[in-house]
Amino acid sequence: MTNSMNEALKAIEIFNPMVEEIDERQVKVSVGNDKLVSVLETLKSKGYSHLSLITCVDWIDDGQLELVYILFSWQDGGKFIVTTRIDRNNPKFVTVKEIWPVARFYERELHEFFGVEFEGNDDMKPLFLELWDEMPPLRKDFDPREYSKSKFPDRKYEKDVIKEAKIFRGEIDG
Amino acid sequence: MKERTVWEQIADQLRSRSIWMLHYCTGCGAMELPPTMTARFDMERFGIMPMATPRQADILLITGYLNTKTLRRVIYTYEQMADPKYVIGFGSCTINGGIYYDSYSTINRLDYYIPVDVYIAGCMPRPEAILEAFQYLMEKIRKGEADGWKRYKENYEWYKQNQIRSLGEVYVHDEFHE
Repeated sequence: MTNSMNEALKAIEIFNPMVEEIDERQVKVSVGNDKLVSVLETLKSKGYSHLSLITCVDWIDDGQLELVYILFSWQDGGKFIVTTRIDRNNPKFVTVKEIWPVARFYERELHEFFGVEFEGNDDMKPLFLELWDEMPPLRKDFDPREYSKSKFPDRKYEKDVIKEAKIFRGEIDG
Repeated sequence: MKERTVWEQIADQLRSRSIWMLHYCTGCGAMELPPTMTARFDMERFGIMPMATPRQADILLITGYLNTKTLRRVIYTYEQMADPKYVIGFGSCTINGGIYYDSYSTINRLDYYIPVDVYIAGCMPRPEAILEAFQYLMEKIRKGEADGWKRYKENYEWYKQNQIRSLGEVYVHDEFHE
């Protein structure tokens, strides 16, 4: 870990996070729901000011969704992966668009693909999908194959054995 | 097939020597086009030129997968093109969905929505395959067999019904344009 990462870790110690070192420049920090925004703000003041990504992992067996915030420092290239888990059946969280304005697009995307609602972010129009009529598609209990079968017809193939045999014998050019 | 008049046959001969291509590069197949256009394979020696606008183009080359969002734009583009117009489906994604056969947003076969004259199989097809397909299309035009645009007019109801079944609505509502 770099020096600035150690400093940042010391600064967020009061939120008692679960720290997991992934490699030299990457640290995963898991915190409780209520502390996540404070942790993000503290890290931002410590130089981890670039919000690379907000994404989500669906832990269907635990009944939880894990929100993942990736912060990057331009000083030494360190990366903080800050995660928290929320209830899967009532996926609600607070927005961080006051800290990083760009977050509103990530939050729209998460609302579209995982159904997570962000309090304080009212602009939840679909960002990528058009006229979507099913459950959020990146949840684990959504079956894309069934959906694809019902909406997009397949091409039917018929096996022509005689023609294949002729190709094998070299009578016609396959 | 209806018998062509002499003038139509001459027109088809001339058409096949100068086809301008609008490439709809949403998929990874766009990667194979720069070598096809430029000095290495040089498709301009067959009279094929890249064109930027649908109104002036003859071929619509669809490179790779189409999802529901891009298919709406493709249908718009195809209907804007002037007759006669030809469609080339490029790569296995346009034939049967390719590796996206079970995707929730990617269509499985292109000829269900717009008529396709030539398919190029492969993932990816090499520039040689593209040139082979162009030659084949030129031959079809000369014989008067490349009649996808006529089929689209004759079976317009069928195509429209398929489009609505998969897309819900063909009209484009775009937050960046409204």
